[in-house]
Amino acid sequence: MILAPFTLHRPESLAEALSLAAKLPDGGYDWIGGGTDLLQNYKNRLNAKDHVIALDRVPEMRGISAERIGAGERLAVISESAVVRERWPGLAEAITHVASPLIRNSGTLGGNLLVETRCYYFNQTPFWRGTKGSCMKAESDECLVVPQKEICYAAYSGDLAPILGVLSATLELASPAGTREVRIDEFYAGDGIRKNVKRADEIIVGVKVPAEASTLRAGYRKLRHRDALDYPEMGCAAALRLDPSGRIELLRAATTAVDVVPHFLDFSELMRGQEPDTAFAEVAAAMEERAQPKKNTSMPVGYRKKMVRVYLGRLLDDLRAGRTEGRIPAA
Amino acid sequence: MAETQPLRGPFRVPSAADRPPKQVVRLNVNGHAREVAVRPSDVLLDTLRDDLGLTGTTRGCDMGTCGCCTVHVDGRPVLSCLTLTLLAEGAEIRTIEDVAPAGTDLHPVQRAFAQHGGSQCGFCTPGFIMTSVALLARRPDPSDEEIRREISGNMCRCTGYNKIVESVRVAAAELRGEEVASVASPGDLDVPRGAYDKPAGAYRSNGHGGGKSR
Amino acid sequence: MTSRDSRSPHGVGQRVPLIDGPSKVTGTAVYTDDIRLPGTLVGKILRSPHAHAKIVSIDTSAAESMPGVRAVVTGSRDLRTFGVLPISKDEVALAVDKVIYVGDCVAGVAADDEETALAACEAIRVEYEPLPIVGKADDALKECPPEQKLHPDTRHPSNLQKQVDQNFGDVDAAFAGADHVAKGNFRFIGVTHAFTEPHCVIAHFEPTGRLTVWSATQVPHYLHRDLAAVMDLPMHRIRVIRPMVGGAFGGKSDPFPHEMITALLSRRTGRPVKIRFDREEVFLTNHGRHPTKTSIGVACDGDGKLLGLDLDALIDGGAWGSFGVVTTYYNGVLSVGPYRFDNFRYRGRRVYTNKPPCGAMRGHGAVNSRFAFEVLIDELAEKCGVDAAEFRLRNLLPSNTTTLNGFRITSNGTEECIRRVVEASDWKNKRGKLPYGRGIGIACGFYISGSALRINWNKVPQSTAHLKIDMDGGVTVHCMAAEIGQGSDTMLAQCVAEVLGLPIEWIRVFSRDSDLDPIDLGSYSSRVTFMAGNAARRAAEVIRGKLCAAAARLTGYDAEGFDTRDGHVVWLPNPAIRVPYLDALLEAIAGKGALIAKGCYHDAPPMGGSHKGAAAGLSPTYSFQSYVTETEVDPETGFVKPVKVWAAHDCGKALNPLAVEMQIEGCLHMGLGQALMESFGYNRATVGNPSFLDYKIPGPLEMPDVEVHIVESDDPEGPFGAKEAGEGPLLPILPSLANAVRDAVGITMYELPMTPDRVLKEIEKKERASAVREASEAANPKETVR
Ligand SMILES: Cc1cc2nc3c(=O)[nH]c(=O)nc-3n(C[C@H](O)[C@H](O)[C@H](O)COP(=O)(O)OP(=O)(O)OC[C@H]3O[C@@H](n4cnc5c(N)ncnc54)[C@H](O)[C@@H]3O)c2cc1C
Ligand code: SF4
Ligand code: FES
Ligand code: FES
Repeated sequence: MILAPFTLHRPESLAEALSLAAKLPDGGYDWIGGGTDLLQNYKNRLNAKDHVIALDRVPEMRGISAERIGAGERLAVISESAVVRERWPGLAEAITHVASPLIRNSGTLGGNLLVETRCYYFNQTPFWRGTKGSCMKAESDECLVVPQKEICYAAYSGDLAPILGVLSATLELASPAGTREVRIDEFYAGDGIRKNVKRADEIIVGVKVPAEASTLRAGYRKLRHRDALDYPEMGCAAALRLDPSGRIELLRAATTAVDVVPHFLDFSELMRGQEPDTAFAEVAAAMEERAQPKKNTSMPVGYRKKMVRVYLGRLLDDLRAGRTEGRIPAA
Repeated sequence: MAETQPLRGPFRVPSAADRPPKQVVRLNVNGHAREVAVRPSDVLLDTLRDDLGLTGTTRGCDMGTCGCCTVHVDGRPVLSCLTLTLLAEGAEIRTIEDVAPAGTDLHPVQRAFAQHGGSQCGFCTPGFIMTSVALLARRPDPSDEEIRREISGNMCRCTGYNKIVESVRVAAAELRGEEVASVASPGDLDVPRGAYDKPAGAYRSNGHGGGKSR
Repeated sequence: MTSRDSRSPHGVGQRVPLIDGPSKVTGTAVYTDDIRLPGTLVGKILRSPHAHAKIVSIDTSAAESMPGVRAVVTGSRDLRTFGVLPISKDEVALAVDKVIYVGDCVAGVAADDEETALAACEAIRVEYEPLPIVGKADDALKECPPEQKLHPDTRHPSNLQKQVDQNFGDVDAAFAGADHVAKGNFRFIGVTHAFTEPHCVIAHFEPTGRLTVWSATQVPHYLHRDLAAVMDLPMHRIRVIRPMVGGAFGGKSDPFPHEMITALLSRRTGRPVKIRFDREEVFLTNHGRHPTKTSIGVACDGDGKLLGLDLDALIDGGAWGSFGVVTTYYNGVLSVGPYRFDNFRYRGRRVYTNKPPCGAMRGHGAVNSRFAFEVLIDELAEKCGVDAAEFRLRNLLPSNTTTLNGFRITSNGTEECIRRVVEASDWKNKRGKLPYGRGIGIACGFYISGSALRINWNKVPQSTAHLKIDMDGGVTVHCMAAEIGQGSDTMLAQCVAEVLGLPIEWIRVFSRDSDLDPIDLGSYSSRVTFMAGNAARRAAEVIRGKLCAAAARLTGYDAEGFDTRDGHVVWLPNPAIRVPYLDALLEAIAGKGALIAKGCYHDAPPMGGSHKGAAAGLSPTYSFQSYVTETEVDPETGFVKPVKVWAAHDCGKALNPLAVEMQIEGCLHMGLGQALMESFGYNRATVGNPSFLDYKIPGPLEMPDVEVHIVESDDPEGPFGAKEAGEGPLLPILPSLANAVRDAVGITMYELPMTPDRVLKEIEKKERASAVREASEAANPKETVR
């Protein structure tokens, strides 16, 4: 397949990357990390830009430490890293749910957080879209899922936002105008087209994880047809800490792929001191209720919604019992 | 009502003239420096197959889903259909053509795939081999479950995967230096090398000439 | 005799790795897209975005004047229609006057490079006038004016293509008198082959006036014939070459429009032209398994003796005929085994719809009906309180019999298949005894091993093999049997190695070039081992005769006493008297030149009934199988996860046990795909999921453990007793899994695939029903007593 054409830039530092961005017209370029998401869309000629700026040589986006993961780090490297496995085993295991091992060797953390929203009518070839008249996230001005012209319901389908959200991670953003930090659970907003609060000229440089995260039990569960390759049909994460008497002290939950943005809810205050069993059921039900999947992925909407409760309930039970999915082989 | 195709949408394919010019890039492929002229939008798969003639790497989907196009970039197996050629500059690229040691020998992984039913039509095979070689370099003794996880980005429609898992397991054992049984009985004929112009025996004077005739 | 019974270390019964393995594992195997001829142009096809539309006009002038564009071709009435079956040559290379499915080929372009070819396709202006879409099989049955028929020339006043009605015995009476009857309406969505190598073809109209076509095809001979028709050339002016093929499974068993288009473009330009499909185009071309609605009834008496089968299949054929007439028969007639019953009624209807054509896919025609039949057999077994395996055993056809519709059954290993898997799986201690959420199921299968009658009514043998041995001693086997990854080259080499007593390294197989290799009809209907194997064996036997005669001349012993084995020509009465192979060869060649021989498989002996359609499904022999599958079902999510399959298959004789296992495991994987997740979906007649991301093929983590049991019934006519192993093994996996799901959670799945949402829905339905029952039982205690 022939990609949409572009000019490629490969800056060697964050400053160079940002100054390139400053020179190019707003919205006239895309950043590229591993390219495993972006290039699918360029192959399908979806919203391609004239310029692409590669971030793979930006040193500021590298490094994995006890506080921070560079956004340019490859997913496989992150999940294999001793620091991550030790401090945030739930994240290491969640990463094994992303795409496939081959893709995780290229795909980056930043790219995963910014993975394009997905929809049956959008993730198709130009020929296919031509037969349907295309939609407003691509070439036309109307939604084909929910016929109207305002909101795009493409599903946010990244696997890692939920787990990073429940760990209270924060994004380091840099732009020609300066830097800022945004909590992941406040980052996603809008609809399938305006997906988050990031401006086009901003780069995710790194992801900061608070010290507290390593004291939590956290994990991610994913609904999909096949263990590998498939984007989530629903995904849920939770973080948990029980007090010495076995009651809830901290409980956060998140879901992905059941709305245009991931959902994050912190139940700690509400549930503090409660018995896990009742709390878990309520949390799972509350997250299910918030889920609003649309008919634009492979599995039926009702089923995806219903599975929030089942998967999240099981995840919470597993967290309490200290069970993992065993997806990471012993060293 | 008559309609003209395309129905809607600016799907224009830019003609060659509108595209950014090719630029010469120096790639390190299979241990050799190769200079090729590529467009920024070219992916490594096209460069390998079309510009460098390395057709062992195959194209099954062009979209990251089949793993046929797997090559090593700095030792890690990646999908060449989703890798921009220009971004592979400076990296060590290794393809299926460089897996076998010198001459006609096979790498243990190749031998195991050939012998244990790990390859049928063979179209997916180079990809599986690249993935498996990298896995075994990292993890000399993977469990079956781990092998399955590692190869789960490679698709095979012929084998049903179980014999691929077995092939990787056998190769791992061989690479660890364990004795590995060959599937095929080796048994070739013991014949002289070179041309063979005259029967070796003189049959009638050999003591058993003049047998019963009918 | 050596410790093995075969004459060669790689002969019959030996585990022999595929002979082309080394080229495949090194990336040196040459597939069509790997071929680079000097001056090759890139071909692209402009496809219809409409499912059904009149073509008002096509303007190619802008495209033709683009720099770098070398030729543009469009449809024309002057081009002959074509198609794999002589009875339904309804396909056109390029649309004429109308398009009948999304993806239909409207124009072909040859250009210097891919971008230019694509840009030229876009520059072609086509004016369409949309026509009503025939989207559903039921709609296609409705009477309609000729202009709404996809193929106006067909006999029926609707879009019905073919109707088959067969009736044996008295089904109504049998059902009326039966103790138990099970009925069901089953729905099967389409599935597709999803081979990894996309279609690819190169055509070169050479200055000599000859056309050479390299194509990823499994039927080079049919391609050859149809190219001759469409290009209006005598066959001898065309050469068809089949490079390595990256999987096919029936999906490369039709002559295709893109092959014709490439040839037309090459004729226009005098240059080689290559068309390589994007993955989406592979989906648009489809020819996969038909979406089918199957209504079925099965009856038995109180002892569990099967009395009759009443079957109705409505088959959605898509836009073209393809193998569809055969499919229509197979959906019925391939249900007459492995069980005996005396009453059988079948109505099969295949309709044309505005969707990509369906065709032959592994297990062609048999898979869906088999599923329905085997699922209902479990229901019957339960009704008469007989164990499901025992029920099957009670109803088996014997060996050497004739089915009620006239199929000649010779070797038959079903009983052994069942006994083996029942024993190995510990069936007796598991069936009905596993905890809720875990279950075990059984099913059988029955499949043809080649079609007894050929598609084209001529007297060309079904398969011919040529052998040549010159003084180097290597044996060259020529036979057009298409190697598509199934290992047919290895099979041919093994047959020859066995007869001549040589190691396999001495055999080289050429099976790809119509100029050099004699006709074999192709790799479909599981015919290759049986037919080409016999042809090769016969040719080798002729050569063996010559070697034995030479040994006799050398030694003075009688030729009849000699045999070839282990690299020698051995006098059997006294094996000490032996001549090395090369010595015998030199003597045989002396003064005469290279040894040459041919062998062929012409026809099975006369067989079959005289009713209409009696020939359909006739095969020189049949394969049989029985599988037991153990599965987990998650009652809260509906996920079905098969854990282990015991797969017994009667392949007559395993020429190569390794290759038989490879086929069985591959079949099983493909069958599991259809059972669990694959579905060729549509969005208003447009293929909904034309990618490997959205068309879900099970991955390595979805594959269960498989234990293969090879059963050898030693077929009297197969080469060394062999029959097929490439398709039949797909059949039992789907129903054995469904029956296991039933055992696990008590639901019957009438619709495939068994996606988790569907399974969950059925579980919930069942739970609701039992809740209602419990409630009513509690309210009305008398009910319980009764
Ligand atoms: C077959 C297949 C299956 C997949 N399955 C999954 C799946 O199951 N789950 C899942 O989550 N993903 C999946 N993906 C998507 C993708 O591979 C991963 O999400 C991956 O992590 C993306 O990372 P990347 O670096 O390759 O992203 P890229 O493609 O490089 O970038 C993705 C987007 O993020 C932007 N971007 C990248 N990095 C930065 C940065 N640092 N700052 C600002 N913007 C940036 C890019 O401009 C682009 O818009 C799949 C992809 C494929 C091809
Ligand atoms: S939700 Fe609507 S607008 Fe958004 S991608 Fe899908 S069809 Fe297009
Ligand atoms: S061709 Fe690259 S993954 Fe399929
Ligand atoms: S061997 Fe054919 S796809 Fe794997």
